[in-house]
Amino acid sequence: MDARLEANAGSFRDPVNRVYEVKPKEKNGSTRILRGLNKDLLASYEQLSGEKFFQKAMSKGQIVQTDLLPLDDEDAIAVLSDGWAGVLEHETVPFVTYPYEWTFSMLKDAALLQLDLIEQSLENGWTLKDATPYNIQWIGSRPVFIDVGSFMPWKEGEPWVGYRQFCSMFLTPLMLRSHLGIDYLPLLRSYIDGIPPTEAVKYFSGTKRLKKGVISHILFPAKVENSIAQRERDDALAKKRTPHKQSKAMVVGLVQSLTRLVKKLSIEIQHTDWSQYDKTHSYQDVDFEAKKAFVLKHASTTPRDYVWDVGCNTGTFSRIASENCHHVISVDGDHNAVEQLYLAEKKNKGSNILPLVMNLSNISPGQGWAGIERQAFDQRKKPDLVLCLALIHHVRMSANIPNVLFLKWLRSLNAEVILEFVNREDEMVVKLLTNKKEQYEDYNLDQFIADAEQYFTISDRAPLKGGKREIFYLKPRS
Amino acid sequence: MKITSTNKRSGHEARLVLMLQIGLISNLFFPSIAFAYVDPGSGSVIVTTILGLIAAIGYTFRKYFYKIKRKLMGKKEEQEQ
Repeated sequence: MDARLEANAGSFRDPVNRVYEVKPKEKNGSTRILRGLNKDLLASYEQLSGEKFFQKAMSKGQIVQTDLLPLDDEDAIAVLSDGWAGVLEHETVPFVTYPYEWTFSMLKDAALLQLDLIEQSLENGWTLKDATPYNIQWIGSRPVFIDVGSFMPWKEGEPWVGYRQFCSMFLTPLMLRSHLGIDYLPLLRSYIDGIPPTEAVKYFSGTKRLKKGVISHILFPAKVENSIAQRERDDALAKKRTPHKQSKAMVVGLVQSLTRLVKKLSIEIQHTDWSQYDKTHSYQDVDFEAKKAFVLKHASTTPRDYVWDVGCNTGTFSRIASENCHHVISVDGDHNAVEQLYLAEKKNKGSNILPLVMNLSNISPGQGWAGIERQAFDQRKKPDLVLCLALIHHVRMSANIPNVLFLKWLRSLNAEVILEFVNREDEMVVKLLTNKKEQYEDYNLDQFIADAEQYFTISDRAPLKGGKREIFYLKPRS
Repeated sequence: MKITSTNKRSGHEARLVLMLQIGLISNLFFPSIAFAYVDPGSGSVIVTTILGLIAAIGYTFRKYFYKIKRKLMGKKEEQEQ
């Protein structure tokens, strides 16, 4: 295999195609995303690409931009040599994310996109062989379907094979949050194939079972699966179950009923520590403007590809950075703050801000098969600039992570950093330390500067809030 | 579109709906178990058949309802003109 060609570690479950990344020959070139197709899938794609519904969905941005490459394309030849009959090229998604990093509305919008595509497909004689949120990625705050290889012709009578997967990976998490207020993100992180109905049913007891969609899509499937398991557990052979023929009305009707159900699911955004940061921050207007000006000054020195805003709250500083870079990845552990950012950004058509929910003291790890099927958050696209504003005191005093370890992690990103240090005298630190036995005596400005200078050079700094805080522009030491 | 196929099975459909009702009621009281060799997804052919039949009734009803509504509205518009 060509040395520039690398098979995607998360693309191996469907044997009829595989995604590859092709590294550029030139230093400033960009990586190409190619998909090798077997003979049958190639024939199927040639037919699919002529379908109006498919072309329309692609032009609307619902499906990732895709082209069939000519066989003499240099990179296509490299993919073909790995045993494929044809090669597609996809538009590159800026930053790969997983459903356990999405807010409620992000998962809901991804579910509605999935349902819309399956309905359009069925109406036109096609179907999708699976229904997993891993097939959906984000361009800014817009969801896009990436697994073009999962379209296949639909024959009258065939059931919707992705139903169970849709329920386990989209519907059940949404219902857990909407009906019961349960945070599904840790569950989706652990259940890589989704929450099975036999587990989901345990969350619904008594009258909770009467909530919208629970009987049909959790209790009933769980009952069927449990009774099959009970009946066949000790049999030498598994019983062959031939699907009943299902009319188009049955299959489309089921998809439409799920669409209506998903649209009705909602959550209330309650006021949390960070969900109203724009109104509740501890700054006077003048100080807040000074902080904004410092960020703008250093975020706009050069157009950057990727900016991470770690501890983004509702995205005030992500928006400043977004005007001077191609992509902003905005991360916060507070679901409701990120949800607000997403809801605001999805109204902005050209948004280049991707909001994600993640506890920064426990970032998404590498997991799945061999621990690499799903990449760790900090092993994906590296940033050029990291905003880390008024976060470090939480990392030190709430998560008990020493500053030096946090700075070492920041250095591993090999990016410039704008970091706001919140001093001991600041009322927010005083609040954090109240009722704490451990007083973190090592947490002070002098010690922070000494730790920071192990990994970074201080290129600029400015006091904020009358010296209670200090903002730094750090460049990584080589 | 072969929506008439659902009408042909009205007896079969009624039995399935009854089974579903019994299944759903019993569901409220039965605990679940874990399993190993049996493919959990194999049950979804039963689930999609039954839920699909119910959904087809709504789908067909909505389809004809909107068809009739459009006809009536169309006639009304014509009269107004």
